[in-house]
Amino acid sequence: MQTRYADGRAAVTHDASAEFTADTLQVSVGETRHAWPYAELHRADDGAGRVILKRKPDTGERLYLSEYDSTRLQDAAPALFKPRASGVEGRATVAGLTAAAWSLAAVFLLGVPMAAEPIAGQVPPRYREQIADISWSQVGTFTDYCDDSDEAARILNDMAYRMMTASNVEMRDEVWITIVDAPFPNAFALPDNSIVVTDDLMALAEHPDELTGVIAHEIAHIEHNHVMKGIIRSVGAGIFFDIVFGGAGAGQMVAIASVNLASLRYSRGDETDADLRGLDYLDAAGIDAGGLARLFERFQEEADEEAPGASSIPTMLSSHPATDARAAAARARSRQGLAPSISPADWQIVRAACGAAMVEDVETPVEGPAPTTPPTTPSAPAPIPPEVATKPE
Amino acid sequence: MTVEAAPTQSFAHTGKLFNVLGLAFKNAALNILTLTLYRFWARTAMRRRLWSRASVMGDPLEYTGTASELFRGFLIALPTFFLPAILIFYIAPLFMDPTTAFWLAAGFYLIAIPLIAAARYWMRRYQLSRTRWRGIKLGLAGSAGAFAWASFGWQILQTLSLGWYTPVARMNRAKMMWENARFGDQPFEFIDDGEPPQRGLWLPFALGWFAFPIAYFGGIILVIMIVAGMAGAGVAFPTSEEFTPGVIIGIGVGAILLMLLLVLLLWAPYNAAAMNRIASLISLDGARFQLKAKTFPLFFISLAGWIITILSLGLLAPVGGYLQVRYVLNRLEIIGTPKFAEIGQSIVADSEAGESLGDAFDLDMGVGVI
Repeated sequence: MQTRYADGRAAVTHDASAEFTADTLQVSVGETRHAWPYAELHRADDGAGRVILKRKPDTGERLYLSEYDSTRLQDAAPALFKPRASGVEGRATVAGLTAAAWSLAAVFLLGVPMAAEPIAGQVPPRYREQIADISWSQVGTFTDYCDDSDEAARILNDMAYRMMTASNVEMRDEVWITIVDAPFPNAFALPDNSIVVTDDLMALAEHPDELTGVIAHEIAHIEHNHVMKGIIRSVGAGIFFDIVFGGAGAGQMVAIASVNLASLRYSRGDETDADLRGLDYLDAAGIDAGGLARLFERFQEEADEEAPGASSIPTMLSSHPATDARAAAARARSRQGLAPSISPADWQIVRAACGAAMVEDVETPVEGPAPTTPPTTPSAPAPIPPEVATKPE
Repeated sequence: MTVEAAPTQSFAHTGKLFNVLGLAFKNAALNILTLTLYRFWARTAMRRRLWSRASVMGDPLEYTGTASELFRGFLIALPTFFLPAILIFYIAPLFMDPTTAFWLAAGFYLIAIPLIAAARYWMRRYQLSRTRWRGIKLGLAGSAGAFAWASFGWQILQTLSLGWYTPVARMNRAKMMWENARFGDQPFEFIDDGEPPQRGLWLPFALGWFAFPIAYFGGIILVIMIVAGMAGAGVAFPTSEEFTPGVIIGIGVGAILLMLLLVLLLWAPYNAAAMNRIASLISLDGARFQLKAKTFPLFFISLAGWIITILSLGLLAPVGGYLQVRYVLNRLEIIGTPKFAEIGQSIVADSEAGESLGDAFDLDMGVGVI
């Protein structure tokens, strides 16, 4: 294999010879001589081990060195055999990119969540309603309206209103509970201060205090504006993934999914906050937190038995922190001898709503004294938002 | 005196799988470390390696693009593509009335069709302008806008014809691309050989077109046969109680994988035929090209690429791209020899915007679209 030279003006090569001085490569092509300083050279090798040299800036000239000349070049200009001469980036580049990426991540994934609370507080009601409309349309895709749940909804709303009044929750007139038919046990809050309770959750509850505990938790999410904070966090994460990952691939799918209701998650801190505040509501309203503890314990047992990923545990209960710890926290606030939060007669109505009793056999109606605090009178019901008074679509 | 190498093969790719795999793993690790910001450097390194292993008449191709060019393209795409996309997909649904938000999103998707075609053209222009052989640059002249709108029209015809216009559209796109491609100052030609360009594509296309129903029913029949066979052998399913969710999900996933496999297999003859036909119509200074892509090897190469890509969550996608590039180059031949001594340096303007939208739309597998 001999040394060849391409002049960058035509797609042919010429026989050439090379001489290596202290700082210059002398290339002879016929009668013509070229002087290439080593400092201006770069490598453009093929994959077969042949050294190919080019100039910087690129003139199109190429020198295809023979094996013999390659060895001589290594002795004369060892710098040309370092990765950088072949265009491999230095460690500083990788370090800079790493720092830039993680700084961006810190801004979006830490900064945005930290700013979520003040931002959420500034979202005007008009936009909040608009976001709620989107949420409701998404709820409508996986739930059905219950046409026999009005009375049950009234009972739950009365109970919730009593609880909020006892704790002086400011937006108690805005909170409204809707019962829906869904194939999973769950309860969740929406941006318009609605709480959606599924019939499966009502069927799963063995005591009214269990359901009341869940509702108290959701009211706490509303009172502390966790829903809007969650949305802002998700949008921030989505924008981050979109910008950093770029493209229409996995990054954008994550990004688009982040504004989907189903993917919204409360932070661990929000969950703990809602747990504690929910227990405060129960305390203030004279409701035994032991019901919630039993529910947590039962779901923990079920989770232990179920295959990973096959959980039917409500979102509210499957989030962090660990269910064991939450059960223990609720158990610590339990008070014996209190009346159930919903009377046995009303509980029967709730259990029968929306076909809930059909989901699984209804336990014997709860026996016990009447509620210690009378339910709110019809003159003081929570207002019914127009979009939830009818089918939530 | 000019010297022409004495090639045993006009085109060849000498890349070794483990060599490419090693670089792909390094790139994957650095992509994770940098939350994918390293992807521009990774793509450049992989192209440099793959190009350098591709030889034409004994001399290697050379990739001269840089990561900073790709990164600059990405920075250009940020305000021109990502910010409008963020506005439309994040802000509009939350803070605009639903009708406006819907029409904004619909408009975005509509514009995306010609935009993707334009992005593909820009991407190819960039890649060709950063490819050299014997120091001579390749290039792509012509207008990305013209290609985009023509592609948009062909896309409409494809839709209206329920896909049957696809072979014509594919050849039209290839014609437009190759007629604007240059090696140095020499244009490639997409010749008229007296036959329609899509000659020989209809039968394999029909097989592909019917692939989905064939795969759908074939998959169902095969699953039934498997289940019946297992039941007959007393292996499983004597009672309905054994149809646990795990078993049902397993059968469902298996059936879907089987269907995808069949669809890929049934499209392979069309893809092989189209690639061979396009190659046969390309000419450079009177020299013609011949590609001998075969259905089953192409199917297995594509399958291997998909499996590697899926199992690595996309991180090793360039390995799939490498397999395809190697397969094509090792089966490509040149008939006749262009007068290389008369082919001068390229006069087509270089692309300055990197691949910008090409990255936004993820148009390549981390290798290239040449």
